[in-house]
Amino acid sequence: MIKITNLEKFYRTEEVETIALNKLSMHVNTGEFVAIMGPSGCGKSTLLNILGMLDDPDEGSYVFNEIEVAHFNERKRADLRKHNIGFVFQSFNLIDELTVFENVELPLIYTGVPTAERVKRVEEVLDKMQIMHRRNHYPQQLSGGQQQRVAIARAVVNKPKLILADEPTGNLDSSNGNDVMELLTDLNEQGTTIIMVTHSEHDARYSHRIIRLLDGQTVMENIMV
Amino acid sequence: MIKNYIKTAWRNILQNKFYATINVTGLTVGLVVGLFMLLWVQDELSFDKNNTKAKNIYKVGIVGGTGISKQIFSHIIAPVATFAKSEIPEVKDAVRVMPLGDAPFKYKDKVFYESSFAFTDPSYFTVFDFNLVKGDKRNPFPDNSSIVITESTAKRYFGNEDPIGKIVITGQDEQNKVTGVIADYPANSSFQYHVLMPISRFNDLAYIKSKKSYDNKTIISSMDADWSNFGFETYLLLKNDNVNTVALEKKLQAIHERQNPIDAPVPYLTQPLLKMHLYKADGTDAGMSTVSTFAIVALMLLVIACINYVNLSTARSMLRAKEVSMRKIIGAGKFQLFMQFMVETALLFVIASVFAFVLLILLLPEFNQFSGKQIALNFSNYNIWLCILLTLVGTLAASSIYPALLLSSFEPLKALKGKISVSIGNVAFRRILVVLQFSASIILIIGTLVIGNQLRFIRNKNLGYDKENVFSFSMRNDMQKHFDVVKTELLKNPAVLSVTRAGRDIITNGSSTGNIDWDGKPANSNMWFNQVYADKDLIPFFKMKLLSGDNFTGVVADSAHFIINETAVKEMGLKDPIGKRLRIQARNGTIIGVVKDFHFTTIHKKIEPAVFQYQPNYCWKVYVKTTGRDAQQAIAAAIASWKQYNNDVPFNYAFLDDTYTKMYTMEQKQGSLFNLFATIAIVISCLGLFGLATYSAQVKTREIGIRKVLGASVAKIIRLLATEFMVLIIIAIVIAMPIAWFAMNSWLQDFAYKINIGWVVFLFAGGGASLIALATISIQSIKAALANPVKSLRSE
Repeated sequence: MIKITNLEKFYRTEEVETIALNKLSMHVNTGEFVAIMGPSGCGKSTLLNILGMLDDPDEGSYVFNEIEVAHFNERKRADLRKHNIGFVFQSFNLIDELTVFENVELPLIYTGVPTAERVKRVEEVLDKMQIMHRRNHYPQQLSGGQQQRVAIARAVVNKPKLILADEPTGNLDSSNGNDVMELLTDLNEQGTTIIMVTHSEHDARYSHRIIRLLDGQTVMENIMV
Repeated sequence: MIKNYIKTAWRNILQNKFYATINVTGLTVGLVVGLFMLLWVQDELSFDKNNTKAKNIYKVGIVGGTGISKQIFSHIIAPVATFAKSEIPEVKDAVRVMPLGDAPFKYKDKVFYESSFAFTDPSYFTVFDFNLVKGDKRNPFPDNSSIVITESTAKRYFGNEDPIGKIVITGQDEQNKVTGVIADYPANSSFQYHVLMPISRFNDLAYIKSKKSYDNKTIISSMDADWSNFGFETYLLLKNDNVNTVALEKKLQAIHERQNPIDAPVPYLTQPLLKMHLYKADGTDAGMSTVSTFAIVALMLLVIACINYVNLSTARSMLRAKEVSMRKIIGAGKFQLFMQFMVETALLFVIASVFAFVLLILLLPEFNQFSGKQIALNFSNYNIWLCILLTLVGTLAASSIYPALLLSSFEPLKALKGKISVSIGNVAFRRILVVLQFSASIILIIGTLVIGNQLRFIRNKNLGYDKENVFSFSMRNDMQKHFDVVKTELLKNPAVLSVTRAGRDIITNGSSTGNIDWDGKPANSNMWFNQVYADKDLIPFFKMKLLSGDNFTGVVADSAHFIINETAVKEMGLKDPIGKRLRIQARNGTIIGVVKDFHFTTIHKKIEPAVFQYQPNYCWKVYVKTTGRDAQQAIAAAIASWKQYNNDVPFNYAFLDDTYTKMYTMEQKQGSLFNLFATIAIVISCLGLFGLATYSAQVKTREIGIRKVLGASVAKIIRLLATEFMVLIIIAIVIAMPIAWFAMNSWLQDFAYKINIGWVVFLFAGGGASLIALATISIQSIKAALANPVKSLRSE
């Protein structure tokens, strides 16, 4: 599904140039659950952003579903993104002004799904995430675990092929964190490819494979059994 | 989708009530005032447009005199229309209107006092579009006793009875038969004559029956042969709209000079009907500059209101960055986000518009009374709705597009990481907007102060005569004949100090002649004299100063004596004027005195040459000087005397002070409007400043906390917050001053006698604006400075 080759990304300020990704190559197959680990500043988030087409690489190739996207403009990337990729963030990033239902519904609105279909799909996914009873609440009224479930619901409502999770349990206690990991595992088992950035060895164990980064390069790959 | 936008927008408003209130208040106030002003401007610009042939109708004027005594006549002599119609092929038709006022019209036992009626040609009803609802358009006046009245006049006279054929009595039992009724004039028509009589009747009365003569020798056969009576508004309907009006003016001049060579040179002017309301006959300003000033100020106010919105919403956009990014990551396109923010502004705008509209309707009667307009928000006048719609849409566009563009163009990653604060935190644009707002406000404040000072100058101006406690009224026939008796009677009243009479109003004389000659008059001189017909005691009555020579004594020989003013002496180039020969029209005589210059018209004009002539028989205006305290008694005495001669005509009088003040009504209105605008501008600007300062204090909570922990005093922190904004205000002052100086200086150019603007005005305006701004900022700054640093650091 994903094949990146010699990917490079620099961050420049007036005086300093920092290499975030240094000729990084890797691939992810459809249906895989991959964890990316490494110390702060190793380039995990940069990689995830490029994979999520939120950012573009300076050099190298990024093939997504057999399409080279490294030099797509923002509009093309956005288009590919909204139909194929769901995001889960550490800090949930729900929109405070919208209810649970409306937050989950939003991606469907932007992809132009008709109302009746939207309601059906949102209800389906809320049911699956067991937060149906909270559908009319606002994010501030939910616990962290519930908020992350809403965020996951929002990430999957469009039935993306790939979910990118950036430390999805970082702001949760262990019990809620485990619930979230179970959810992701379930989704993966139903066929969704998942790439997750994490600091937690515990969470990483849910994945099939761990890619360890240091200074923008792959230093190790562990296959989980 | 749109439902979602509205929902989000509405919740956003509810969540940020403070900013929403500031925004809605600013927009509402800006819209209400902006709309009122633009409605006024629209109404002023719409004058006489209701005439379908307006484009081809021109009013004829004449230029008399040159240099300081140059005069523009917008009323001309009667024959021009007749000659133009028969000799100039471009002229399709002509209309003359001879306005008259102040006459009683009697129907049965009721008396109606008409202040606005006129003699006119029948073509009045075909050249203009005045709708003759009853009567024959082709033959509106079957005979000389016919009259045409407006619908409301008919209602006033006859109630619900059919007005056609009714007889109304005027003058000495003259019968007038109503032969037509025209629809009431629109309020934006320059023509407001409620009763119209055939001009042939005027010809009959003034020439054929009374054998009119100016020198008691030659009898003038008809008004078409009278080249001296400048009493007729004359309108020409041209064949098409590409007539060369300069050539037309030359043709008119040629006709005049051929028929009456003594007047040559007599340049003619043609003024388009559509320009009549806002321009003088020679194309100089007669209101247009006020209209454009108001339009500019209205736009300024609207822009100030828009800036508030733009400023606050861009400042606060930092807080929306996370939301915008998330929406983008989820899949929102730039356009979708753009639309979302447009809808957000639009929603706030709809709220403000509703408030503005309600206020507009509630305040309309006050506005109409204040402005002397009759603007009605009815659906038939689509121009008004167009004006309102354009204002709303324009303001909405101005305030929504930039914030929407800015918000929708965030890069999601940066925004999520909070880096966006750097790029939006770069507040140059917002600073420019604040500077703009305050510049506009300060310009308006300076405008208010300058107008106020000029008005004070006008009020306190020494006019060269004493108008204190003097009231005047115009006599009618019988009373004039018995003036001496009237005077004696009045003087018996202890409240009356003295009584005199003159030909016209001393405050606005308005009678002049170019038919003059004196010993040593240069051949090329085209000087005109303002004529003051006086009784012997007019000069002492008004305490005018005789610089040399003597006053009239009331002897018969005085009819060949003239007293002239200083300017006349200077313009005539006389060294020793006393005893010099002077001819005014048909009167030959000598100059017996020179009077110190005095103002006999508005101080917009320089003092012109003037001549006093002893002509008690032409003195219709009575002046009564009262003790002031017992003025009412004096008026009662005048009324008692009036009733002996004119029982059926109401007594109209006016104190000279009031007449004088009334001449500057326009300026006074401008003054009070500017006052209002300046206040509103500063209030709206301060609302925005208050919002920005609040926001700035919020953003800097952490910085303030750290500084306090490190030992900064409250005063230092206030200074930190206030300096940022005060610098902007000072820049605004620097920008505003030259603009205001230039604008107000050109406003003052319209006055021949005026104040110097002076630095005090700038000091006041700048200082005032700074103080108000400082107070506004301080409220927030003090609050922020006093906050407990532990608390603010923890909340970070």
